[in-house]
Amino acid sequence: MTTTTDGHNADRRRYDVIIVGAGWAGSLLADRLGRQGWDVLMLEAGNGGTETWPGYLDSLDTFYSAVAKVPNAAYRGNAAAPSPDVLDLGSDANGWFGNGYFVQNGRLPYSTDYVRARGGAGMHWLGAMPRMHPDDFRTRSQYGYGLDWPLTAPELEPYWALAERLMGVAGDAEEQRGLGVIGDPYYRYPMHEIPPSYIDEYLRTRLDGRKIEDEVAGEEFPLHVTKLPQARNSTPDRTYDHGEGYRPQGAVGLPNYGERCVGNSSCVPICPVQAKSSPLRLQAGLADSVTLVTRCVVTRVLTGRDNYVRGVEYRAYGDPATPVSEPYTAEADMVVLAAHAIENAKLLLASGLANRSDQVGRHLMDHPTVLAWALSAAGDGPIGPFRGPGHTSGLECFRFGDARRKRAPFRIEIGNWGWGWATGAPMSNVAAALGLGGAKDGSVLGLGTFGPELRALVGSVVGRQLQLQIAVEQPANPRNRVTIDPQRHRDAMGNPRPILTYDLDDHTKDGAFAARKVAQRIFAQLGAEDHSDYSAHDGVLPVGHFTHTVHGQTLDLVFHGAGHGAGTHVMGKDPTKSVVDPWQRTHDHPNLYAVGCGSMPSLGTSNPTVTMAALALRSAEQIHRDLVALHRPVTAGTRQGEQVNR
Amino acid sequence: MATANEIQEFVTLCVPLTGFAEYDLHGTGMAGLYLDTARRQVGALPFQAFLTAWKQAVAQHKGPGALTPVNREVARAVTYLWYTGAWPRIAPAAHAELRRQMANTEFVASPEAYAEGLVWRAFGAHPAGAKPPGFGTWSMKPAPLPGVEEIRSAIGVAEGTYRTAVSEELSIADLPPYLLPGRAPARDCAPSAVPRAGDAQEPHTAGSQQNGDEQNGGTTA
Repeated sequence: MTTTTDGHNADRRRYDVIIVGAGWAGSLLADRLGRQGWDVLMLEAGNGGTETWPGYLDSLDTFYSAVAKVPNAAYRGNAAAPSPDVLDLGSDANGWFGNGYFVQNGRLPYSTDYVRARGGAGMHWLGAMPRMHPDDFRTRSQYGYGLDWPLTAPELEPYWALAERLMGVAGDAEEQRGLGVIGDPYYRYPMHEIPPSYIDEYLRTRLDGRKIEDEVAGEEFPLHVTKLPQARNSTPDRTYDHGEGYRPQGAVGLPNYGERCVGNSSCVPICPVQAKSSPLRLQAGLADSVTLVTRCVVTRVLTGRDNYVRGVEYRAYGDPATPVSEPYTAEADMVVLAAHAIENAKLLLASGLANRSDQVGRHLMDHPTVLAWALSAAGDGPIGPFRGPGHTSGLECFRFGDARRKRAPFRIEIGNWGWGWATGAPMSNVAAALGLGGAKDGSVLGLGTFGPELRALVGSVVGRQLQLQIAVEQPANPRNRVTIDPQRHRDAMGNPRPILTYDLDDHTKDGAFAARKVAQRIFAQLGAEDHSDYSAHDGVLPVGHFTHTVHGQTLDLVFHGAGHGAGTHVMGKDPTKSVVDPWQRTHDHPNLYAVGCGSMPSLGTSNPTVTMAALALRSAEQIHRDLVALHRPVTAGTRQGEQVNR
Repeated sequence: MATANEIQEFVTLCVPLTGFAEYDLHGTGMAGLYLDTARRQVGALPFQAFLTAWKQAVAQHKGPGALTPVNREVARAVTYLWYTGAWPRIAPAAHAELRRQMANTEFVASPEAYAEGLVWRAFGAHPAGAKPPGFGTWSMKPAPLPGVEEIRSAIGVAEGTYRTAVSEELSIADLPPYLLPGRAPARDCAPSAVPRAGDAQEPHTAGSQQNGDEQNGGTTA
């Protein structure tokens, strides 16, 4: 059982490793390094509490009570360690604006959030675990955009597999092999796939084998509804691991409780039964040599002799509502930043470290996401939205191939939660059907329905809601960046707030344009009525609006953030062009690592968590070797192994 | 706190507003909380005036079209509360006329109320995050939903119209856009404040003002 303590007790102690951040990357590293006996201190800026069952249920109540059920809705605000929230953005006649934690000065808004709390964004994530495609690692050399990785997919394959074991993934390996994202011909996921939704099936019977034109690419693509690998408890595969099978992990904080996904349909922001995997699971099983501290905001990495770092300075607070805090220090042989792409960059910039290349904070990325929504044909009856995990299948054909030269690739998620993201359904359906809220001049409307008509109307229109969430690849661009200005922009504790400068380039916008046109054709193929709307209303453009012209046709488009912040301490072999090496060790400081999506030179069209996890597990091996080397008599030889420690 | 008799009367009067049977409304366990919430939000006297007016309308087999604009908006807010567990943002004119001192913003009445929202039942689902139906249930074909006539006879409100200003039967296949939500302008937009997909061309209904806003929305070029 790992020790959880407060900031005061961790003060002035010496550790083998300090890990900044208790999200997925930090927890995977602590798990590996703790098992190898290293003394590990994990410093989490945010609050804990969800590791107990009453604390977890309290988060569930917070979600129930939230008016807007957004990804951070289950996790309370924290003035000492503020989080960005999708609720921070708005728009008026002068355009979009941002309030809250981020300072935004780009042409377009960065509308992605994360949670600074124990478990990090691994608490509110969906659980999607699709691997990247081998081509995603070499977009520059193969398709002429973005940055190439210094690693290949085959090099990451064993670490993906390990991540899938440790995080508990359910999926159909055969289907993923068909996409080319799994190389091992015998690989199986720990658990059988999460069953596809009725909506998936509805689309599959109407779309599979059909071809859809993408005029931007100048190609037709054959559609195939493909299941999503997910870190969600399903039925274990007894043939997994050469017949060893797999034992799913249950809930944290409630002994002997755990089950397969029961269809709560609220994975984002919170799974009430913890069938969705979270870092809390790993944290519950950490070795005794790991100490986890919450409410400790690391303010600076401390430099030591030569280019080495010696530890961190952090501020501990008791009350999340007030910025009162005490400063402390802790020292270690290795310091690992695992605090999120934007927080890692912020901390490196505030510490004045690892930035010889001037690349810290640059290449900020996300998956700009285009929503398209429609009503399925009335004659087909209800299709069952708001049931099951957020999305269980997708259309993958637009992710791959030479079309990437002409436009950014994209992955079409088939949404299971109706028009919730786009319109606030089903609640907003009730308001609209009632005629609630008045006319634009504020007067009470005469129009509207009640009683039997209301119930039938809401049933019919919500029951037919279909939404496609289309995640477009965004290549690394040094102009999209995180900076800080500690003189002008600080949070309540006095730490610098991230300043974001963000835009989409034409290649990405070409992808968003193609995605919109493809969605229209898919809806037409389904006989569905397209209700997508990206235009201005009363002179006010929606947040994330832009117009884009392809082949002489101009479209209004709107993109949303996907929560996939990345690129801010980019990985490479050349110390003058990158921040970390292929082990995620900073080029400038031999004992300082920056891990997480910030290291990724490209994202492909895959949700990045599984790849981030694989990179962290690979780094854990190198950190172990570094520590062994430090603790070894100087006369001993070294031998670098590439084995994955299971 | 509302008395048992008051709660019973409130529930009876909410059947024709919601389209759900008395048994369903009591079954939420929320009736007392909703009555208290509505009284607090509207004010005890104006809310009693609404209940009296609505009782009279029901007795005369009239729908909410017979109510004054403010009472009609209160009827909507109460119905929204039953459907979602949240008290909505109401029409600013009604908010002003009621001289409410609290902010005109949406809030969830209680965590339990969210999970008891009737909207999920209206389309045959469960509240997101509660009452999970079990592994793999999302693969099952959804059951057909009852039509207006079935609902009417099931809850015993066979008479009267519950469309306030739409004279003919609504065609599900060709719905006017004002009855659908439009795109939320930002994520920080309460569901009850999401603009409608199209503006209503208001016919001359008693008590409602003509609004001359141009039609907009719909898909882009």
